[in-house]
Amino acid sequence: MRAISCFLAASLLWAASAREEGIAAFEAGRYSVALAKLKEAAKDSHDARAHLFLALTQAAMGDCRTALPNLPATDRLAGLAAAKCYAAIGDEGKAFTTLEELRKRFPNDADVLYLRARLHMKAFNDATLAMFQGAPASYRVHELSAEVLEVQNRYSEAAAEYRKAIELNPAAPDLHYRLGRAILLESHNPEALERAAAEFRAELKLSPEDAACEFQLGQIAQVAGKQAEAKPHFERAVALSPGFVQALIALAKLEPAEKAIPLLKKAVELQPANEGAHYALLTAYRNAGDMQKAAAEKAILDKLQKPAGSEFSEFLKKLGEKPAKQ
Amino acid sequence: MRRLFAIFALPVLAASIFHADFRDIAAASGLTAKNIFGGAARKDFILETTGNGAAIFDYDGDGRDDIFIANGRQLNSPGAPAQLYHNEGAGHFRDLAKQAGLARTGWQQGVCSGDYDNDGRPDLLVTFYGHNVLYRNRGDGMFEDATEKAKLPVTGVRYGSGCSFVDYDRDGYLDLFVANYVDLDLAKTPHPGQGEFCEWKSIPVMCGPRGLPKALNALYHNNGDGTFTDVSESAGILKPGGRYGLGVVAADFDNDGWPDIYVACDMTPSLLFHNRRDGTFEERGMEAGVAFNFDGALQAGMGIAVADYDGDGLLDIAKTNFSGDLTSLYHNDDGKFFTDVSRQAGLRARQFLGWGVAFVDVDDDGWRDLVVANGHVYPEVEGKQLGDKYLQPTILYRNLGNGKFSDVTETAGPAFQVPRPARGLATGDLDGDGRPEILLVNMNATPSLLKNRTPGGHYLNIALTGTKSNRSAIGARVIVTAGGRKRIDEVMSGASYYSQNSFTLHFGLGALTAADEIEIKWPSGTIQRLGKTPANQTVKITEPGK
Repeated sequence: MRAISCFLAASLLWAASAREEGIAAFEAGRYSVALAKLKEAAKDSHDARAHLFLALTQAAMGDCRTALPNLPATDRLAGLAAAKCYAAIGDEGKAFTTLEELRKRFPNDADVLYLRARLHMKAFNDATLAMFQGAPASYRVHELSAEVLEVQNRYSEAAAEYRKAIELNPAAPDLHYRLGRAILLESHNPEALERAAAEFRAELKLSPEDAACEFQLGQIAQVAGKQAEAKPHFERAVALSPGFVQALIALAKLEPAEKAIPLLKKAVELQPANEGAHYALLTAYRNAGDMQKAAAEKAILDKLQKPAGSEFSEFLKKLGEKPAKQ
Repeated sequence: MRRLFAIFALPVLAASIFHADFRDIAAASGLTAKNIFGGAARKDFILETTGNGAAIFDYDGDGRDDIFIANGRQLNSPGAPAQLYHNEGAGHFRDLAKQAGLARTGWQQGVCSGDYDNDGRPDLLVTFYGHNVLYRNRGDGMFEDATEKAKLPVTGVRYGSGCSFVDYDRDGYLDLFVANYVDLDLAKTPHPGQGEFCEWKSIPVMCGPRGLPKALNALYHNNGDGTFTDVSESAGILKPGGRYGLGVVAADFDNDGWPDIYVACDMTPSLLFHNRRDGTFEERGMEAGVAFNFDGALQAGMGIAVADYDGDGLLDIAKTNFSGDLTSLYHNDDGKFFTDVSRQAGLRARQFLGWGVAFVDVDDDGWRDLVVANGHVYPEVEGKQLGDKYLQPTILYRNLGNGKFSDVTETAGPAFQVPRPARGLATGDLDGDGRPEILLVNMNATPSLLKNRTPGGHYLNIALTGTKSNRSAIGARVIVTAGGRKRIDEVMSGASYYSQNSFTLHFGLGALTAADEIEIKWPSGTIQRLGKTPANQTVKITEPGK
């Protein structure tokens, strides 16, 4: 009996030693050694750690189908390995589902966020390639090319691609809007303003309730110094999309303080961290002589004041998506 | 009825005959020394980008404004000396900097003038990356470095930028405000492309100012014995914390007789220090509406011009900004609050990066026009398809007299058709013909002197000398009443970008041949009035009493 106990104890010790050596080998990237040691350790069906690292080793060696049943998304490393494995075997749906689980548990983890970005990028590339191969003559090819060029600050090339897209499908929504934006991103000279305005007007013919186009036309009128022309555009933008914060702010700035304040209160309610909205509200309160409320807005602004957004956030802003209707 | 017609017809007539005509006479006038400032084709550090300012001031008291132009250096080469161009008359200048003892070199930046020791001779403060230098005007054509004697800092490294002599406590002695740009340690500053803030439009460029340590501004109180005491903390100057400060000007924005201070800040909120009349200041840029643009967004503030552009009796502010942005025009609503009316006033967003700026009545019609010096900060943009050029034209906006400006650059003569790498800008009637000239400091190039040949109306130049007040009369408010309209201006030290405009105030009178009254509100509190004064002369006025 004592001999059996001694044998069992020795076996456990040996298994534990194999597990730790296996984990060390895994962490050193010596996967073949890790695989052998961890298989040995995993003979103990109760050694969860050995099973986990065995699965991680199998995943690292590309044996995803064997590894996946033992890679729970509740564990950070296992979840990351599982997401990579699902992507590797072409099950993108499960890859994204796993990553979404991970994101909830580890919201600011750089590895999780990186993998998420990378898989989305891969999905984007795959879809783009598929479109270029499967529908090369579609206006969508030019539309997508234009959007990519826009992000790269190559506005005149982007505009040319939008024009090609419009030529192929003059009735497609959004193309004139995006073309107008590309023109504005390149220049604000009077001639460019007029060309951009023509595109927004063309978009409105296709989509008469496009609040973003109304807003852009208002902005163009303002840049051209035509305040009176700007106002009805902002009014229409707000009427079409009551939660359009930028339009609310723009309209408020053209109104006397008593009319501006409710618009701006709504803007800060919709976007409490919008510095521009708070600043406009501060100014409106100030102009109304309500210095107490102006001071309160200043205090909020002071809190919101932070270093200006990074170049990357600027880059993302340039994607210029239209605001969601609210 | 006929009279009514005349009133309405006049502005129309003025509009139709306006034709600015500026010629660059720098070379012919002897302004030939080249500015040296950092790399010409690329800039590794922000230090290489800020450039120099200039001062138009009469250092030898001969009644003609002279010119001082600061100069810089390159990273691996010694600096070039500043120039002191003596106005010889007849449009000629002679560089006497060496004889005047202004041979010091280094990373000079800006300049402001003021008679800090009240000896009747205007002195100079030249800001440096390093330590600033106070040049005391000895009165014999020579300047002496009085920095140490005046107990201003002579050790340590600070990135001095704009400056202004200002008698903030109205004790009759000029105090000194100095802005600082970046708390810059070159050894710790990354190189182009090496950091988050080291790229622009996807090209590697020098880093900053974002990402670099912010700097604190400084206020030095004049002790009245030729020395200064740093009162930055007790006066409330440090309270707002660090900024990237550039242009500075002191002026009485709320008409309370006490000078306030405005600092244009790069990518940080600009500062308005309101004078609390007790030796302290309250920073209220944000509440006042001069810290950001109309959207509450940060701007790359560079230079400042101050004038009552719309004739409502309050001093307004123009501020230059980065490429693609508007030149800010902050309308002074009531002395306390300003509104950014850049768009409404017709100042257009263009791909120009503004530096020096001045309100100057180029055609003497009684409305101060606006001139803006431009030049990109990154020479690396040249030759790339980014929509920006390194050399950029100087822009002239005509004041239409109705709160709006019109860009008249294209018809402002050959000097406005030349793109330049401009930084400092100063104005003054250098030839005494009643039409102010415009001086531009061009980075790594020779300066430009834009001779004003614009046909215009009548004018008055007013030169003040303080007695109870500081001798430079800095802070004195002048109100010229003519034709039923009051025109105001103030003697200011430091303005534009890193520069000093002439202390002689210039008033355009249009068709009027005389001013009905000239009123001077001296910093001492004395109010002086002169009766009807014929136009087209320089009136020299000394403060009454001692």
